[in-house]
Amino acid sequence: MRALFNAVKTGFTEIWAHKTRSVLSFLAIAAGSVVFIDAFSAIFATYERIEKQKEVSGMARLKISQNYSQTYSSPDDYVPPPVITYEDVLRLREKLPGFYMVSPEGRDWRNVLEYGEHRVTTSVMGVTPEWTKRDFIYKLRGRFLDWHDVENKLRVCVLVKKAAPPPGNSFNKSMMKKYNFTGGFDTLVAHNDLLGKTVSIDGFTFTVIGILEELPYSRRPETMTGYSQEYKVLAPVTTLIHYNFIGSYQTLDVSIDTGSEQNFEESLRKINNFLKIRFGDGDFFIVENQLELIRERIAASMKSALVTISLGMLAFLAGGIGIMNVTLATVFARTREIGVRRAIGASRRDIMLQFIVEAVMLGLIGGVLGSALGYLWGVPVKVMLGMGGSPIKAWMPLVSVLIAAFTAFVFAIYPAWVAAGLKPADALRAE
Amino acid sequence: MSISCFELTKVYDGGKAGWPALRGLSFEIKMGEFVAVTGPSGCGKSTLLNIIGLLDEPTGGRYALNGRDVLTLSDRERSDTRRDEIGFIFQSFHLLNRLSSVENVGLPLMYAGADGAERKERAVALLRKVGLHGKEKKIPLELSGGERQRVAIARALANSPKLILADEPTGNLDSASSKEIMQLLVDLNAEGITVIMVTHDKELAARAGRNIRMRDGRIEQ
Repeated sequence: MRALFNAVKTGFTEIWAHKTRSVLSFLAIAAGSVVFIDAFSAIFATYERIEKQKEVSGMARLKISQNYSQTYSSPDDYVPPPVITYEDVLRLREKLPGFYMVSPEGRDWRNVLEYGEHRVTTSVMGVTPEWTKRDFIYKLRGRFLDWHDVENKLRVCVLVKKAAPPPGNSFNKSMMKKYNFTGGFDTLVAHNDLLGKTVSIDGFTFTVIGILEELPYSRRPETMTGYSQEYKVLAPVTTLIHYNFIGSYQTLDVSIDTGSEQNFEESLRKINNFLKIRFGDGDFFIVENQLELIRERIAASMKSALVTISLGMLAFLAGGIGIMNVTLATVFARTREIGVRRAIGASRRDIMLQFIVEAVMLGLIGGVLGSALGYLWGVPVKVMLGMGGSPIKAWMPLVSVLIAAFTAFVFAIYPAWVAAGLKPADALRAE
Repeated sequence: MSISCFELTKVYDGGKAGWPALRGLSFEIKMGEFVAVTGPSGCGKSTLLNIIGLLDEPTGGRYALNGRDVLTLSDRERSDTRRDEIGFIFQSFHLLNRLSSVENVGLPLMYAGADGAERKERAVALLRKVGLHGKEKKIPLELSGGERQRVAIARALANSPKLILADEPTGNLDSASSKEIMQLLVDLNAEGITVIMVTHDKELAARAGRNIRMRDGRIEQ
């Protein structure tokens, strides 16, 4: 313990005595530290995002939709394909009560919404309360559609209010301005509080019972099912069918969460069975397995995270080699001193300890410096550059400093071993 | 402190044949002796001193310090022996230039595990003993050659060794300083410390109790 204390003291003296050399070593290891903290926070952000995405999207997802790629040998063979009706969805729900979500979705496009003098284009989607169980990334004002609305085909609707565009640089902003096609509807909802008001959609009056406010970009987890959210107005699916927004020839998409990854294959089979019994052998529908898609996306995110961390590792490697170089140079510059110390009683272990402690101190100080720089880079600088701050947790600089010290330790072993291996008599003869 | 060597040889690596520095030395030195080792340059005086001081290992032969075969000791044991039983004095002083006199003298105590206050107290006392009272804070570059060698002697005495090995201790000093250093060594010998001194200086050698003359790696009889 006393030997360690003495080594630390000697280390300080040496580091102080060779300021330029020490500062360069600090910088080498600090650069590694900065990259590593950046990598850490990037990985942490990815991980948190994935967890949030999983929570929002669910894993065991699949989707039934019309198969549009059916071929017919001649136009005369064409028969209109069967459609999934609301009753089919109810029946499916009844057959498979264990599923977490069975959500019918019927879409209509280019609807005209009128409010006072405003007249804007919008798109309506018919859903049931099931819809809120997944991919619900909004803040709700008022209330959402309930089963009472659906069963009674009430003319009520919920409007989607877009969030402000993400904080970005001027380039981003100009692009947003140029290519924003959503036009009037977003502006109308943004500037008028329509909650409780009556609007007209394609000539039918609807009461606005709720506003779905999009979360600001930074707090919005992306869904992993990969569908663009092109709906602006949500209404009971039954109402839209009743008022012919969704024609009788139009099939309903069904978004399903089977609730568990374990029984996913079996659930898939059950659904295919249901479709077969209901609609016969034709490939009228596609059951899209979204579990695989979600897994692929997670794997891709993880891969990019690994690339980042390996960059951080490489940076530390470079820093470590810098420390090894400096320590070796120190050993050669101080060979005579090593001889003197050996002559007056220092053992090999004492010499080894001295050089390792000195290197670890370089690493520690460099790591602390790098953590400070890493924080500066990750928060104020990145924000200034419009890149969005990194989420830096308290443990990241701590781990980074430890890794810096450990790297220095590992890379000092060889030079220290060289120093300890010098024969006292030879070392004393050195110039 | 007795030293007994038998048929010591030392061959330095280098080239195919190697270069023999010692070619079979046998001698005994008894406790309390003052021995001067003399001889021309390259005759193996320093090599012999390094081997006696456990700074180097002989290629062959036997060497016992106080009746203990020291050639089979581990590095740790050899280091401890150097620290506790042997004090070195070198021609070019070999002080650490960044450390003050007190810190230089305290170094062997540090390796012996003494704490800071203990080291300082002992070092100040030793510096006073070698006549350097008031120069405790000076670094080597602020001292004259004779003063530096006194610091080195104080350092050699730090752990109260029974054997002092001096390799040309006056080689870099003027004659006045040489005399003072020599007097110090004689005084130490009077206190019972065995002194082995390598020197060119016949006058100094004459003050030693016994002379060992060397030539070409052998003792001249």
